[in-house]
Parts: sequence; structure tokens; C-alpha cells
Amino acid sequence: MISLSCEEVWRQISDYIDDDVTPGTRRLLEAHFAQCRHCAALVDSVHNVVVLVADERVFTLPAGFSERLRQRLELQISGKRSDGS
Amino acid sequence: MDGDRGLGSTEFAAAEKELVAEVLAGRVERFYELVKPCERLVFITAQEILQNEADAEEVAQEAVLKAFRNLRLFRGESKFSTWLYRITVNEARMRLRKRREVSLDELMEADGAEETTYAPLQLADWREIPGQALEQRELQTQLAAAVASLPDNYREVLVLRDINGLSIAETAEALSLSLPNVKTRLLRARLMLRDSFIAQCSGSTRGAVGKGRK
Repeated sequence: MISLSCEEVWRQISDYIDDDVTPGTRRLLEAHFAQCRHCAALVDSVHNVVVLVADERVFTLPAGFSERLRQRLELQISGKRSDGS
Repeated sequence: MDGDRGLGSTEFAAAEKELVAEVLAGRVERFYELVKPCERLVFITAQEILQNEADAEEVAQEAVLKAFRNLRLFRGESKFSTWLYRITVNEARMRLRKRREVSLDELMEADGAEETTYAPLQLADWREIPGQALEQRELQTQLAAAVASLPDNYREVLVLRDINGLSIAETAEALSLSLPNVKTRLLRARLMLRDSFIAQCSGSTRGAVGKGRK
């Protein structure tokens, strides 16, 4: 079986995480991960960071954001109405 | 990991279409119902592009108002949220351009240099941070700092795809990029984010993230 170099593996890591690789490529990548602890650690840690960054606790809205947005929107809406449009 | 974290997507699309039609027919007070599900991500998109909370809030508001005024131009070929993110990205880029007084070409520099070789930080024992560790304010701050450290064009892709959970196709649409271009940037962004985050963590919170923690 052909094997992949570490650099070839790095190029595929994002697609691998997104499950956007062919079954053949997936087998090659997983064969590489089984042998190369550096790449195995890399894919795990990239995956881990991608999961963490999606966590709602990391990026939050400032207090009162929604209220201020609604107020501005209502101003715009009432302005539009009073234009007679 | 599917990009679409929404409700059942066909029902969602139908409900959304109906709501858009209602607003256009004059029930303008219902417009906020379209915005509410994505307001958090509109703000985050602006915040991550601008890296300034006050500017981000203003841009987020401007984007929503612009969407309201231009709702007739929304074709319904994409989700309302994708359309709104696109407006947000454009507004934020304009604000950034004004702030930095650099040309847009410079801001969206060519991707030619992106094929350069990457050498990951060799940290074989850094594998996992438990989700509960995110309760720590410090870890959240480090993660945000790692995102902030990315170059603009990578950060935009990462924010839409990984933080907002858009699909690759939706990200491409929101940023007016090709699919391969999004994928290339996403790969670089994720690798850089990982390296930057590890660097942040090993800089100050050895104990919080290291192997010693269960």
C-alpha cells in the first residue's frame, strides 16, 4: 500500500476533520496516524481546538446587546412607517 | 461534523421563506424573528473581524438595519442567516478599511503564498482539553486570543465555518470565495489556531491544560 508523508497528511487534516475525504484517503490517513504519533497528536489537537472554538461559552454577546439592537430596529421601523411608505 | 447545526433544514427554510414574505407584505415588526436566531453570530462575526467590541456592536446593528432595508433583494436561494453574515462581513471589512486606511486589495491579499510549507509545533503529548475546562475564564480568553492572532483572511473563514458553524459552501457564499479557496484558508487557519492556542496555553496556564488534569 502507498503511504503518505507527514506533509501530505497535514494538507488533508482539515478535510479529514470535516469528513470530506474519500474512503481510500481516509484509510491512508488512518494508517499513517497509527504509525506516526506526531501526526496523530496533531489531528487530535486540531480537532479539539475546532470543537472548543464552537463552544458557546467562548464567544458571548455583550450584556444588553439584543435590547439595543431591537430598539434601533424599532426606530427604523417606526421611521419607515411615518414616512407613509 | 456537519456544518448545519440548525433545525430540520427543509422545514426551517420553508418557515423562513414564509416569514420573509410576511415582512415584505408589511408585517415589518416580525423582522426581528428572522434576526434573533443569528444575532449572536452576527455580533461574533463583526467582533472577530474588527477585534473591538464597540465597533462590532455598531457594525452588527448596521448590518441588521441594512438587511431590513434591503430585504427585497434577498432571493431566498441561501439561508437568511448566510445572507446576513455576508452583509456583516462586508460592513465589518469596510469599517476595518476605514480604520486602517489600507486598500481592500491589501486586506484580501492573494492566496498565492498559502501553499508554503507548514511545520506543526511538535507537542505529541498535547491531545485534549476537556470541555469542562472551558468554565475557566482564562482558557476562554486564551482561545479568543488565539483566534485574534490569525491573519484577517484566515480568521474570517474560521469564524464563519468553525465558530458560526456554516458549511463550506455557505462560508464560500458569505465571503464571495471559491470552495477550494475556503478549504485552503480553513486548513491554514485551523493549523495556525492550534499552534497559537498551544503557545498561549503553555505561556501561562501549564496547570490548567496539561496532562496532569483529569
